[in-house]
Amino acid sequence: MTLHRQLRDFAVAAAFAMVIASVAFIAVRNREVIERQFDLADRSTVAVAEDREPLPTVHGAIVGPPTASRAHPFLRHREVREGGWRTLEASPLHPDDKLFYDAATRFDRDRQPFVELLRDGSGRAVAARAHGAREIAVAVTVPIQPAHYPLLVMIGVLGLGAALTAAGALVGGAALRAGSFAGVAALAIPTLLWGSWFAAVAILLIALAVTQLQRAGLTDRLATGLRAHRTALGFLAPAGVAMLVLVATPFLLGLVLGFYDHHQGTWSFVGLHNFIEILSGNGRALDDPLNFWFTLGVTVLWTTCNIALHVSIGVALALLLSRKWMRGKGVFRMLLILPWAIPNYITALMWHGMFDGQYSAINSILQHLGVHGVSWWTSWLPAFASNVITNTWLGFPFMMVVALGALQNIPTELYEAAAVDGASSWQRFRHITLPHLRPALGPAIALGSIWTFNMFNVIYLVSNGKPGGATNILVTDAYRWAFERGDRYGMAAAYGTIIFLVLLLWNVLGGRIVRAKGDDA
Amino acid sequence: MTRQPRLATRIFAHLAVIVLVMVVLYPVMLVVKKAFEPGRDFALSPSPIPTTLTLDNFRGLFGTQGSHGEYLFVRQALNSVVIALATTVVGVFLSCTAAYALSRFRFPGRKTGLTTFVVVQMFPSTLLIMPLYVVLDKLGLLNSITGLVLVYSTTAIPFCVWTLKGYFDGLPRELEEAARIDGASAWLIFRKIILPLARPGLAVTALFSFMTAWNEFILASTFMTSESRYTLPVLIQSSVGEFSSQYGLFAAGAIVTSVPVMAVFYVLQKYLVGGLTAGAVKG
Amino acid sequence: MKWCVLLAMLIACSDPKGIVLWHAYNGAERSALEQTARTWNAAHPDQPLELVAVPFDGFGDKLSSAIPRGNGPDLFIYPQDRIGDWADSNVIEPIEFWVDDARADRFRADALGAMAYRGSLWGLPMTIKPLALYYRTDLVPQPPATTDELLAYAKPMRAKDGYALAYANVDLYGHAAWLHGFGAKVMDNDGTLHIATPEAAEAAAFARDLVKSGAVPDDAQAPLVTSLFNEGRAAMAMSGPWFAADIRPGVPWKVATLPMISATHRYAAPFASAEALVMSARAHDKDAAFAVMDFLTSDASATTRAKLAHQVVPNPIAYRDPEVAADTTLATFVRQLEHSVPLPTAPAMRMVWTPYRTALGDVFAGRAEPGPRLIDTEKELEGYLRR
Repeated sequence: MTLHRQLRDFAVAAAFAMVIASVAFIAVRNREVIERQFDLADRSTVAVAEDREPLPTVHGAIVGPPTASRAHPFLRHREVREGGWRTLEASPLHPDDKLFYDAATRFDRDRQPFVELLRDGSGRAVAARAHGAREIAVAVTVPIQPAHYPLLVMIGVLGLGAALTAAGALVGGAALRAGSFAGVAALAIPTLLWGSWFAAVAILLIALAVTQLQRAGLTDRLATGLRAHRTALGFLAPAGVAMLVLVATPFLLGLVLGFYDHHQGTWSFVGLHNFIEILSGNGRALDDPLNFWFTLGVTVLWTTCNIALHVSIGVALALLLSRKWMRGKGVFRMLLILPWAIPNYITALMWHGMFDGQYSAINSILQHLGVHGVSWWTSWLPAFASNVITNTWLGFPFMMVVALGALQNIPTELYEAAAVDGASSWQRFRHITLPHLRPALGPAIALGSIWTFNMFNVIYLVSNGKPGGATNILVTDAYRWAFERGDRYGMAAAYGTIIFLVLLLWNVLGGRIVRAKGDDA
Repeated sequence: MTRQPRLATRIFAHLAVIVLVMVVLYPVMLVVKKAFEPGRDFALSPSPIPTTLTLDNFRGLFGTQGSHGEYLFVRQALNSVVIALATTVVGVFLSCTAAYALSRFRFPGRKTGLTTFVVVQMFPSTLLIMPLYVVLDKLGLLNSITGLVLVYSTTAIPFCVWTLKGYFDGLPRELEEAARIDGASAWLIFRKIILPLARPGLAVTALFSFMTAWNEFILASTFMTSESRYTLPVLIQSSVGEFSSQYGLFAAGAIVTSVPVMAVFYVLQKYLVGGLTAGAVKG
Repeated sequence: MKWCVLLAMLIACSDPKGIVLWHAYNGAERSALEQTARTWNAAHPDQPLELVAVPFDGFGDKLSSAIPRGNGPDLFIYPQDRIGDWADSNVIEPIEFWVDDARADRFRADALGAMAYRGSLWGLPMTIKPLALYYRTDLVPQPPATTDELLAYAKPMRAKDGYALAYANVDLYGHAAWLHGFGAKVMDNDGTLHIATPEAAEAAAFARDLVKSGAVPDDAQAPLVTSLFNEGRAAMAMSGPWFAADIRPGVPWKVATLPMISATHRYAAPFASAEALVMSARAHDKDAAFAVMDFLTSDASATTRAKLAHQVVPNPIAYRDPEVAADTTLATFVRQLEHSVPLPTAPAMRMVWTPYRTALGDVFAGRAEPGPRLIDTEKELEGYLRR
């Protein structure tokens, strides 16, 4: 029994450890391959520069100085010495000629020796250094096969770990814990050999964790729990797995990438730098759109304005449309929910067209009313207003329909009784209508405010953040960091994490407020 | 209400609603007008009545050809249909089991699971665009229908689970208990008893997922790089740009894309609200 | 993380299926390009060329994010102003290796020179697009030779609730004609900014006065310019070769070169933006890709594009074709090239558009004076360029 249990716990811990070890292996292997490429290329250029043969599998040669064309200064001919001198030119016989040519041109720009990866993503390295006064020694490597996954090593280590665990289980007593720890720790051996300290430490931590959890009996409880609820978990599994791969993974990836910076194609670890930069406002004034707090403020203002308008217009219309003396209720209702039916990106583009330019539909109407036309996106207030108007047009039907539904459920006897008691219409509203509206409107407002907070389409398509990004809300700003501000993916990822935390906070606080209000309903 | 308000108030109320209805209809009429008027510019007069009628915009929309001479609009419409249908099927299929578990079973971590689904639902997919781009890239699923369907499905799952759970909660348990006493397995109960009973809920959830996938544009325009893979929203959005706008094409496309989805919406909107608020109240 | 590069290599990459070219053309330009592609495909069935049309908004950003991941095209057509940025980011491939004098002599020197950056050649020119003066022959009998003559149309047009001239004035691209006419410039080819000069302030003041006097509509963008010209509410429009396709049939029009600025006796000189055919650094078969580039910019293809799409092609030989030679509009644009300024290719150029636009907007609305506002803009740009 103990043996079975020990092996079970070992299996789970080992699975985690294997994942970590494999990731470490890939990282180390890739780094090693690049370093080896650089080393080969570099040493070959040294060899070629000293008129020796380049290293095997490396293609090295001496490239001569350029002869520029008189008419076009950027067109140059170069020659290479392979055997005798010949011109570098495009030909299937000499596929590397262009690489030599480009390397020589690059070298000539600042006359400094260099080693770098080829920009075509093939994993090859190129190096160059001076040879004499005007010639250049260039070397290009071939792609190296990265080392294969050491399957045998991993299997061996797994076996070793299992044996240690089993031994500990059979001996019993203190050896039980020791065996369990040693078994998982065995998997750290290969990572130590590869020089990946981080992974080794992580695996040792897992080993420690498993041992401690075992001692607290938690692993057993987990196993029994899993078996007891296996049907439920079986039902949960498909959605769970899908969410894990397509939601949890990108989310965690986004979290991790927030600690890196991406600039012109290269990633570098910057720790908390991105977060600090965002939260300190990017070093800009508080009223500058690139300052996170400004955008946060705009987003909060955007959400509250919209919800206030949606609810007031929606409830007002619902009240009107539920009056018995209102004619044509059905038709009005059908027409008034039209905005909800139209896809919202089409709405946004439609309204954009209506605001855009001096002779837009809106401006023409304003001019007919004697008001001077407005340039909607050259200052903040009109731009913000255009967004709010569009989103309100889009959003009030939802509140109206929710309110209508709630109003239908109010028994008419309550109103009749109130009328008999001589209550005024305001008192009727406050004490009968409102309490019935609240339970329905509460969740609707919660949902609506989240939708508005995240409303990418309207902001992006109507004002597009103009003027100068001042009407951006958090989600559009994050998008721009990734795709419009020089591909700063690390920054965008950090921004996304911060937005998520803000949303979480908003939801928690909002939930508290809604529950508090609901309690005295 | 036993007393009717004064005539003046009643007339005023009717007028107010009529004005609002006109405000609501005006943009729509402008778009319809633009679709039937020639030219790419947004015409200068604010009147919603078209001055000249033409079918050129529709002809241009349907006639756009790609680099191999294929008719792009049909292809893109098909993409939209396929993607939306697939999202619905995958999303609802994956969600109904999870919703059932959360509704009927009590297990540790159930409350956390529920909260997770709610929390994830409020997380905008635009924030995940970049990591998703990287993940899809590594899986080789960029510019592919499969990739987009998978992404949309995971966006749809939280909402579907939440709504379906609310719906399942409202189903009576006696039938299930009787079946369990008779010795039926949970899976059998789910298939034979719950699913048929839940058809209305499933239908509404399915249709809401369909509409969400049909109307989505930012993920589609980021992940799809070849024209033959574009969906309708990408086509429509690309005809209105800062530097070159073809409002005629846009208007025609908007009408063709919106009318089907609007029809469906009108049929189902009363169920939608019930589902949304029921889930919220009980969840 | 450089290991991402290797990781991408290790994961199986999709088979290249011929050569993929991304472009943002529509209308006649697109049909012309597709025709040349069909000619290539007929002659080279083993190396098919696939064209992909991408909407222009965000096209540049899409390229920047797709190519480094290996998801981009082999070739693409884009205005020259981002060449420097892409060259520095290792996104595009230098091509002077394949170009000899004979090939280079095919093009106008200024067009090919626009593709050079830091001593290398980064693309071949497909077309140049300067701005010129479109005018309605029913409203303007003779094209104005100076800006004073142009402004003389303001009063009569105002009386008809119209404008003398419509153009995208808040955009630096449209404003550049006046900027260079006053002797100012945006930056040198190496990126040194010259934004806050007295001449630039004069040019901005001039443009502002155009709006104030009612000669020009405020904050006009392309669709509005088109509408106004079509409806006869603008006697003239300053736009590029693409404008002709948007003019409604039945409107009588001609093109002339831009007038001379009366205050300085220099010709208004717009930016001439060359559209470059560029090779991605990640193209699979670079020799084949260059062969396609060579073909698409050959004299024969250029002639086709000039005939079908009225593109101002940089191949002088194309103008010997009788049909092309008879095209007076094209000839006017070619003449305008004599008074055009090539768009700088320095990476800094990419950053200039939005801040300059905001500055012009402030100046036209009277919220700021040209001189101080341009000084602010230059400072702002220096801030961006420092990071």
